[in-house]
Amino acid sequence: KDISRYCDNLLNELIESDVAYDVAEKIVTDIGNRLREIKIPRGTNVEEYINNIVIDVLRKLLDNATSYDFIEYIAKSSEKPVKIVFMGINGVGKTTTIAKVAYMLKKAGVKPVIVAADTFRAGAQEQLKKHSERLGIPFIGGKYGADPAAVAFDGIVFASKNRFDVVLIDTAGRMHIDVDLMNELKKVIKVVKPHIKVLVLDALTGNDAIEQAKKFDEAIGIDGVILTKLDADASGGAAVSVVAGLGKKIFYVGVGQGYDDLIRYSSDIIIRLLFKQSK
Amino acid sequence: MNVLENLKKIVSDFLRGKEPYEIAVENFVKELQKTLLRADVNVKLVLELTKNIRERALKERPPPYISKQEWFIKIVYDELSSLFGGDIKPQVFPVKTPYIIMLVGVQGSGKTTTAAKIAYFYKRYGYRPCLICTDTYRPAAYEQLYQLSKQIDVPFCGDPKSSDPIDIAKKCLSYCINNNTNIIIIDTAGRHGYGEEEYLLKEMQDIAKAVNPDEVMLIIDASIGQKAYDLALRFHSATPIGSIVITKLDGTAKGGGALSAVAATKAIIKFIGTGEKIPELEVFDPRRFVGRILGL
Ligand SMILES: Nc1nc2c(ncn2[C@@H]2O[C@H](COP(=O)(O)OP(=O)(O)OP(=O)(O)O)[C@@H](O)[C@H]2O)c(=O)[nH]1
Ligand SMILES: Nc1nc2c(ncn2[C@@H]2O[C@H](COP(=O)(O)OP(=O)(O)OP(=O)(O)O)[C@@H](O)[C@H]2O)c(=O)[nH]1
Ligand SMILES: [K+]
Ligand SMILES: [Mg+2]
Ligand SMILES: [Mg+2]
Repeated sequence: KDISRYCDNLLNELIESDVAYDVAEKIVTDIGNRLREIKIPRGTNVEEYINNIVIDVLRKLLDNATSYDFIEYIAKSSEKPVKIVFMGINGVGKTTTIAKVAYMLKKAGVKPVIVAADTFRAGAQEQLKKHSERLGIPFIGGKYGADPAAVAFDGIVFASKNRFDVVLIDTAGRMHIDVDLMNELKKVIKVVKPHIKVLVLDALTGNDAIEQAKKFDEAIGIDGVILTKLDADASGGAAVSVVAGLGKKIFYVGVGQGYDDLIRYSSDIIIRLLFKQSK
Repeated sequence: MNVLENLKKIVSDFLRGKEPYEIAVENFVKELQKTLLRADVNVKLVLELTKNIRERALKERPPPYISKQEWFIKIVYDELSSLFGGDIKPQVFPVKTPYIIMLVGVQGSGKTTTAAKIAYFYKRYGYRPCLICTDTYRPAAYEQLYQLSKQIDVPFCGDPKSSDPIDIAKKCLSYCINNNTNIIIIDTAGRHGYGEEEYLLKEMQDIAKAVNPDEVMLIIDASIGQKAYDLALRFHSATPIGSIVITKLDGTAKGGGALSAVAATKAIIKFIGTGEKIPELEVFDPRRFVGRILGL
């Protein structure tokens, strides 16, 4: 009975941290079962003992999401340029994340090209172009209304000819249930044949995070996620949803609007957010 | 839809009345809580709402002449829509002109797009809108709103060389007034105001002081989760929020975060965004929105 009260509390806490409801329910059921099996040694602080079990379970889960580093991947790849496509719903931070990744790669001595295959949203071309100018990185864009697959292809040709290491391809934001736009994205993927397909997710997202990830994965097959806006006092639950609900990797997390506000994912980051004292 | 099936099943179990009335109410409340949490309504708000619903259901009992199912759904509906100040469509036309609207919200929520959508909406009703860009941070924020203003042929003002949003706001306000426009829509940079961004809340306050808006409009992304309540509260205490727009309702998110924002600010929801294109803006309809939250 105590266990089920504890579990009810834990469920609420996970949901308050933006873990999707169904994912939170499953985690809590598993933890409840485990707690019923174990015997708590005499003389230990019960609350602390149980909390440690919970943290342990979540940490193991989140450790599964640890992935390779882009820099390592590019260094090992026999095929050049390495092609990376970024996708996601509207406004999650794709374009800004590309600028951050480009900056990180350049600092590591890798030579990137930035490609703006968002030919739809107002200002999208100028936005990425300004980033690339500031970073001193070559930029390939297209006219508004042009075929995004064709723009992406131009970028790859440019990178191959000029012996660049990596092509970072930005795509327009789109809803995961918009059939026409998802077909357009499939065409981009078919033409580009990317080495890495990155889904960008906003850490402030609630239950929809899992929906977005599922639909993009079904349509395209994503290799991993970059979680943005963690600096917005996010609770990290979206990471748990993606990892526990879909078993996806997380490459990096975004923690601000500056170029160096991108850090390598680790379970620590999310654990810290999940268990920070709420004000 | 799962949610719909769940709710229907619970209502019909409840109607068949296998269990005692009190237990049926309890089960219904539990299922309702799940539905609301899945829709991203704030946990504390859910507990508060369902407490009221439970009390009413236990106290009032269904009257004999209406179907029990309708009556039960009605209690839930009443409680939810009382958050919006009742089942009425918002009044969206300004009480005076010139009317100044300032858009605020977290990064990427849809402010700039919504600014253009609103300008287009009022233009179609014969108003003369003017668009102002005060976002000096995001690369090409100026170009984005400029291009949108061209698409709908509405006057536009900004200064891509300036890094002072307060100064731009003042100058552009005069520009708009001098150009005989009567709905002035001010777009601001995205911000969340936590941690290192604290100063951006102050900046938002300073812009508001400079232009004295008739309405500060909070733009909320339908997919936002539990953070919506606290975020809206922070914005509200910096610059009192007069209205809310929920964007991206063309996705799968239910939009419960907006409900939290309403509870935090007591502001009314005026519009919803249902697509990326400029005409894809609708006047908020409480009945349809509650239906969406409940998965009905
Ligand atoms: N605070 C914060 N803001 C971010 C972060 N990542 C991106 N942003 C901001 O979010 C907003 C939207 O970012 P974009 O990069 O334009 O998003 P997008 O996904 O390319 O948007 P669309 O192309 O319109 O779909 C911008 O104001 C960015 O500065 C982050 O990690 N933290
Ligand atoms: N599908 C859909 N997309 C929308 C809607 N409203 C806005 N968007 C898209 O959301 C993305 C972000 O919109 P913006 O208007 O740039 O957002 P913002 O709040 O101005 O962003 P910042 O200035 O960076 O804070 C763009 O891709 C828009 O086209 C909507 O109702 N539905
Ligand atoms: K979160
Ligand atoms: Mg973009
Ligand atoms: Mg904007």
